[in-house]
Amino acid sequence: MFDYRPGDSPVHLLNPVTKLAVAVGLTVIVFLLPNPLGPALIAVTLLGVAAVAGFLGNVAKLAAVITGPFLVAVVLVQGLFYPGNETPLLVVGPVTFWEEGVSYGLLVFFRVLVVVCAVLIMVFSTHPKAMMVAFIDKGLSPKLAYVFMASLQFIPEMQRRARAIIEAQQARGLDLKVNLWRRFQALLAMMIPLLAGALISVETRSLALEARGFSRGGLRNHLIEVPDRTTDRVIRWSMAAIVVLVALWRIVL
Amino acid sequence: MSLIEIEVLTFSYTTQPHEPALRNLSCSIEQGTFVGITGLAEAGKSTFCRLIAGYIPHFFHGEFSGRVNVAGTDTRETTIGELAERVGFVFENPFDQLTGASLTVLEEAAFALENMGLTREEIRLRAEKSLSQVGMEDLKDRHPQQLSGGQSQRLALASILAVQPEVFILDEPTSQLDPLGVEEVFDVISGMHRRGYTVIVVSQDLDHLVIHADRLMVIDKGEIKWDGEPRKVLLEAAEARYPILIPDVLEISRKLRAAGRIPLGSPVPLTVEQAARELSSINERSTAAQTIAAGRTSRHLPGSKVERRKELVFENVHYDYPTGVSAIRGVSLSLDGGCVCIVGQNGAGKTTFAKHLNGLLQPTRGRVLVRGKDTREYRVAELAREVGLAFQNPDDQLFRSTVEEEVRFGPDNVGASPEEAKRLVTSAMDLMGLEAVREKKPHDLGMPERKRVGTASVIAMNTPVLVLDEPTGGQDAEGIDLLGHLVDYLVQQGKLVLVVTHDVKFAARHADRVIALHQGRVLLDDSPRSVFGREEALARTHVEPPAVTRLGRLLGLDETLLSPEELLAVFDPE
Repeated sequence: MFDYRPGDSPVHLLNPVTKLAVAVGLTVIVFLLPNPLGPALIAVTLLGVAAVAGFLGNVAKLAAVITGPFLVAVVLVQGLFYPGNETPLLVVGPVTFWEEGVSYGLLVFFRVLVVVCAVLIMVFSTHPKAMMVAFIDKGLSPKLAYVFMASLQFIPEMQRRARAIIEAQQARGLDLKVNLWRRFQALLAMMIPLLAGALISVETRSLALEARGFSRGGLRNHLIEVPDRTTDRVIRWSMAAIVVLVALWRIVL
Repeated sequence: MSLIEIEVLTFSYTTQPHEPALRNLSCSIEQGTFVGITGLAEAGKSTFCRLIAGYIPHFFHGEFSGRVNVAGTDTRETTIGELAERVGFVFENPFDQLTGASLTVLEEAAFALENMGLTREEIRLRAEKSLSQVGMEDLKDRHPQQLSGGQSQRLALASILAVQPEVFILDEPTSQLDPLGVEEVFDVISGMHRRGYTVIVVSQDLDHLVIHADRLMVIDKGEIKWDGEPRKVLLEAAEARYPILIPDVLEISRKLRAAGRIPLGSPVPLTVEQAARELSSINERSTAAQTIAAGRTSRHLPGSKVERRKELVFENVHYDYPTGVSAIRGVSLSLDGGCVCIVGQNGAGKTTFAKHLNGLLQPTRGRVLVRGKDTREYRVAELAREVGLAFQNPDDQLFRSTVEEEVRFGPDNVGASPEEAKRLVTSAMDLMGLEAVREKKPHDLGMPERKRVGTASVIAMNTPVLVLDEPTGGQDAEGIDLLGHLVDYLVQQGKLVLVVTHDVKFAARHADRVIALHQGRVLLDDSPRSVFGREEALARTHVEPPAVTRLGRLLGLDETLLSPEELLAVFDPE
């Protein structure tokens, strides 16, 4: 679901660090902006970027699933109970929606929407390995980068193992639909093999890494090249400048 | 000086301080040799390998005396990383030894090269070259998690080949693979040996190992018991009735020599073809039909099938995984008793079939009746009282603090009374040879023993039907014997025993009925003699009949043979 979507759009060609910088920059900006209009415009722009990258459908669908329930909740709650409520917007029987609250709710919603879209675009357009290589190029420790990569595969692997364990224990007569004590026992019967198995594979894996010179110092190189172009630098510096300008504007005005 | 020199080495792990894993062991290995190592479980074979790679003392700690030299360097004075450039190591589990951080096969093969700081072009060329050496160049863009066991194991080999070490150590590289994977991996290993690498392979699979090895070592209780030319070592071990898995063809030839039917002096055969050439010179023989009719070698089949109740019934069963893959496509059969072996290549549907027997999976079409109960109407825990299922990987179930408690888990779950549970547990541990370790932690045992604990915990449930998934995988000669006795005993008790297995020798010896699956359908379903007699049909699902059966066929015998005893009776009627 959160996998890399291969492509060769301008978005794909950006350095992963640039994409991260933009995502972080936009996050700061939307939290500085005072009303929903700015974040809303940025969100629309991001959807345009997703269209250029060729995965607008995926981003829109996932963003809707993630932020949709949030939209309803935050607008309802703020519309009814926002402390600065003064101007009635809509009256339904005994219930009043206030303009200030709805506006504030929308602001919060668009901020979250921008963050979600920026992250999704970054994840969808960046090969995880390229992300790791780019971070190492910028000075991240290869060990931390490895942990990041390995964790991507760790969760599906643990889910697969957990299923196998439940099946094996059920085959030995473990009943999952009985009293509380039995259920507690069932939890142990699942967690212990899961953890023990993980420890065993960690031991094997650390030896396998060791045997491939993972802990040796000195120069490293990478199979894939992650170029850092002038465009990337321009985008990163512009982003920084915009963040500073917005901050100044908010402080001064 | 030899490439590897070990001098009076004694080592005990910190976890077992008073039981040295190796005792006063000395040996040297020349460059370019293919050394096969075998022996019982826990004999010290893995310890031997870990010493050469420097994992002992740098990763596994303990009491160390003596000296290990690899290419002139004392392993204590270097690091695993430095040694890794000279010594490559492939482990038993095909999946755990991948980095888990690569998204393609090519990246995985390049991992070590990246750490060595080569240029990008050189990394790519060397990674591609090593993939082509293991025959995986076509899979270089595949995700490593989508490989079969055999492919994973070859990828592990490729990623080490890329480093170009001088020595390759492979510790049980094929015990978790299907026959096709075993062939693939042994082909790659022998190719590397031909290219001049020094190769050290630990394996129980002597049928494959001795064909390729220049030298065979048997390790016993931490010491080298035999060491030399494979034929000589095997003959001596066979003479001493030492429990290793002597290839049937060699054992037959040895006995015929002892009986004076074959002249001494010529080298004993290691392959079916060599044995056929040797035996075809014997003219004086009885017919196979006579031997089989005499019945003095075959097992007694359980009573007539008409009186038996139908324990398990499959009615036009189909199963599609949620992903849409059809794993079972129309299987109808009924099973009543005795030992039924299920054979077939990986992906033929064997495990899916087994999971239908206790309701872990329910048919998407058709129905499965377990002693009259439709599996769709009962919970797995209820069906577990009727059908015990022991999975392939024991680590998916072991969680108690002693072996005894672990074995007791099953009977407690199905509501056996305390006295009854105690009796069942004792009997199951006895059958699986676990008496000596009853107070030990299951996780402190070696893999073969852990697997027997898993099997014992299912037997102890005393169900009328038992399903064992690959019980002989990775077991040594003693373990396989125990399992053979177990199956015969359970059948005698009137139980239905299903064994899912790649071990055709085991099936030929113990099965009353063999079912070969192919692409989710029943390919063959008959007595072992009839099924193993159909070599061409079996080849469709990558199953090869046992060596002795193939030998009989190459000799043009009139009947399908199933055991060395039958073949011996043909050539040496007395």
